[in-house]
Amino acid sequence: MSANKIGLIIKREYLTRVRKKSFIVMSLLGPLIMAGVLTFALWTSLEESEDQKILVVDDNYPFFEELEGSSKLSYDVMDVSLAKGEALLEVSDYTALLYLPKNILQSKSGQLIFKKQPSIRVQRKIEETIQQYIEISKLQEFNISEGDYKRLKAPFDLLTFQFKGVGADAEETNMLPAIVGLVFGILIYFFIFMYSVQVMRGVIEEKTNRIIEVMISSVKPFQLMMGKIIGVGAVGLTQFAIWILLTLILATSGQLLILGDKYDASSLKTPMTDVVQQQVEEEQALNFTQLSQEDNLFNKIRRINFPIMIAVFLFYFLGGYLLYSALMAAVGSAVDNDTDTQQFIFPITFPLLLAYILSFNVFENPSSDMAVWLSIIPLTSPVIMMIRVAIGIEAADMWQVYLSMALLIVSFIGAVWLSGKIYRVGILMYGKKPSIREIIKWINY
Amino acid sequence: MSYLLEGNNINKHFGNFQVLKNVSIGIPEGQIFGLLGPNGAGKTTLIRTLTQITAPDSGEILFKGQALKTSNTSDFGYLPEERGLYRKMKVGEQALYLCQIKGLDKKQAYAQLKPWFERLEMESWWEKKVEELSKGMQQKLQFAITVAHRPKILILDEPFSGFDPINTEAIKREILMLKEEGTTIVFSTHNMASVEELCENITLINRGKNILSGSVSDIRKSFSKSLFEVEFHGSKVAFANALGYQFEIAEITEKPEFTQAVVMAHDGASSKALLTSLIQHVEIISFRENLPTMNDIFIDLVGRPQTSISEEA
Repeated sequence: MSANKIGLIIKREYLTRVRKKSFIVMSLLGPLIMAGVLTFALWTSLEESEDQKILVVDDNYPFFEELEGSSKLSYDVMDVSLAKGEALLEVSDYTALLYLPKNILQSKSGQLIFKKQPSIRVQRKIEETIQQYIEISKLQEFNISEGDYKRLKAPFDLLTFQFKGVGADAEETNMLPAIVGLVFGILIYFFIFMYSVQVMRGVIEEKTNRIIEVMISSVKPFQLMMGKIIGVGAVGLTQFAIWILLTLILATSGQLLILGDKYDASSLKTPMTDVVQQQVEEEQALNFTQLSQEDNLFNKIRRINFPIMIAVFLFYFLGGYLLYSALMAAVGSAVDNDTDTQQFIFPITFPLLLAYILSFNVFENPSSDMAVWLSIIPLTSPVIMMIRVAIGIEAADMWQVYLSMALLIVSFIGAVWLSGKIYRVGILMYGKKPSIREIIKWINY
Repeated sequence: MSYLLEGNNINKHFGNFQVLKNVSIGIPEGQIFGLLGPNGAGKTTLIRTLTQITAPDSGEILFKGQALKTSNTSDFGYLPEERGLYRKMKVGEQALYLCQIKGLDKKQAYAQLKPWFERLEMESWWEKKVEELSKGMQQKLQFAITVAHRPKILILDEPFSGFDPINTEAIKREILMLKEEGTTIVFSTHNMASVEELCENITLINRGKNILSGSVSDIRKSFSKSLFEVEFHGSKVAFANALGYQFEIAEITEKPEFTQAVVMAHDGASSKALLTSLIQHVEIISFRENLPTMNDIFIDLVGRPQTSISEEA
């Protein structure tokens, strides 16, 4: 019976919020904006709006005769002088002229004369194509097979670490996992803040509407409070899921649309990696001659354990949300209107704000004493531990994670219990704004 | 008398302030019961303990002779003085929700609500949002929601406030009909005329204490000042002479058609004695005992200087 009632309350809280226009708009607009910004960034930095048709003036004709392009970047190799080529460029639809001089094998340089400046990416592509062409012809000259050449090449990966004293963890300067962690941490901050405030507003609404008395003559105050907290939390998770899903779909289709089949969209695991993806593409472009599928940045992304990250995110979001929303429910029950909440919201959310502000600090210095403490204290741990986990925690320090999780569980149970006591008294109190001392007295009523 | 709902020695305090002091109350089954008291007497707190909104510090509450349980909430219908609904929800959705919270399933809730919506002419509101309704309409809706799950006991706090005379009559009719169907109704109000009209038994609380309980007629009799109102034809002198030493004229007015007198009886002298002696001297048109109204009694008891004021400081 009572489980049934709590279910009804959760359902109402969830449905009334999910059906709201603002929720639908936020759910759709969030990813649209995110994907839009990302796609725009990709588009402007990577892609040429027009196809390139390049007239190649080869002084060693037909040395470069077999130069191959693609549908978007095509080469026409001609046996003409530079002056004639330029004349041809002027009257034709060629977008640029690539001049490969007589001494190209010695000087190892050529010239690109364009009508409209092609992107850096196109320039690099041309560079690589020529370089590869020369390499292959040299291999033939020295009678080395392509397979031998690949085996000869020894790609070497240099990871850099900052010395932090003997015994201390050296800090890898690869910022990739940390960036992902920071984004997740900030997301936790926003979600906890946004949805715990919604719980508070909901409590105030019921109180000022005076529906509260009817409700708690049918259900226990604690059931009403928990129903609200769980219902609103489910709205938060729904929004998060929609964002992730839509961002993925939009970013993937946006990429396909703009970049075509040149980029493998499936490597785009989460919206956060879009920036990374871009870096990878650039890196790949730079290291084209490496002829190696195993790219070092790809490895770095793969080293980020996304299932663990999402599990940790869900744990700390839910734990932090339960902790803060219970406290906010207590605040909502104590006041009659939104304006009176300020004096209570600030002290309660200060630790969360502090965690948010210091998250950049932790991002740079994840093993400092401050970072360790903040990641253990329940009011700040959801944001900070998220970042630390993303960067990576040594096996010897795993106790900190367990302690932090245990403390968070204990404190949200405590907060729910305490808030329940304040709530049941507060919701029936109207009139003057209570002081914090009075609210503490309510616990024993 | 068998009580449907009974509270014994209920105490409740908030901080240092004791709101209810050893209050006992018994609500007989199938009656309309009046819970009276001035503002701040502790009526709402008493109702809240009876409806399990708050727990008393001490004392017992029995429903049908058994300790009140959480599962009894569905036996209660409570219309608080401060009405309220979820403003953004649709009328129908909200009515269904609040009935489901009382333990009905969705189908039952719909079946129970439908006749009420028809009777109170609210059918066209079903798809409207609550905030689109006027205050009076919201009150009516809330009344229907309160009674729709067929509670055994209905607690109505100032049920007529906010209604125009037509709706007041309609609601009164519904209350009487519910009583006929066997619902016990607790009626908390300051409107003493409606108490006299509707209630059989009352409890009056003041400053957290039960200061008066009983049936309305017994209470009025017990507060009788032994005043009789007589209308007669004949001389005032003859009238006065007929009274003798047991009776005394409190007031006498000559009207065009007759003379009206209010007579006070001394030492519990009976109306029979008065009538017997009067009838020989004047022609009596009407005779009745002048009972105090509930309003008089309320003002008399509540307005009385409190000897217990020092206790409360």
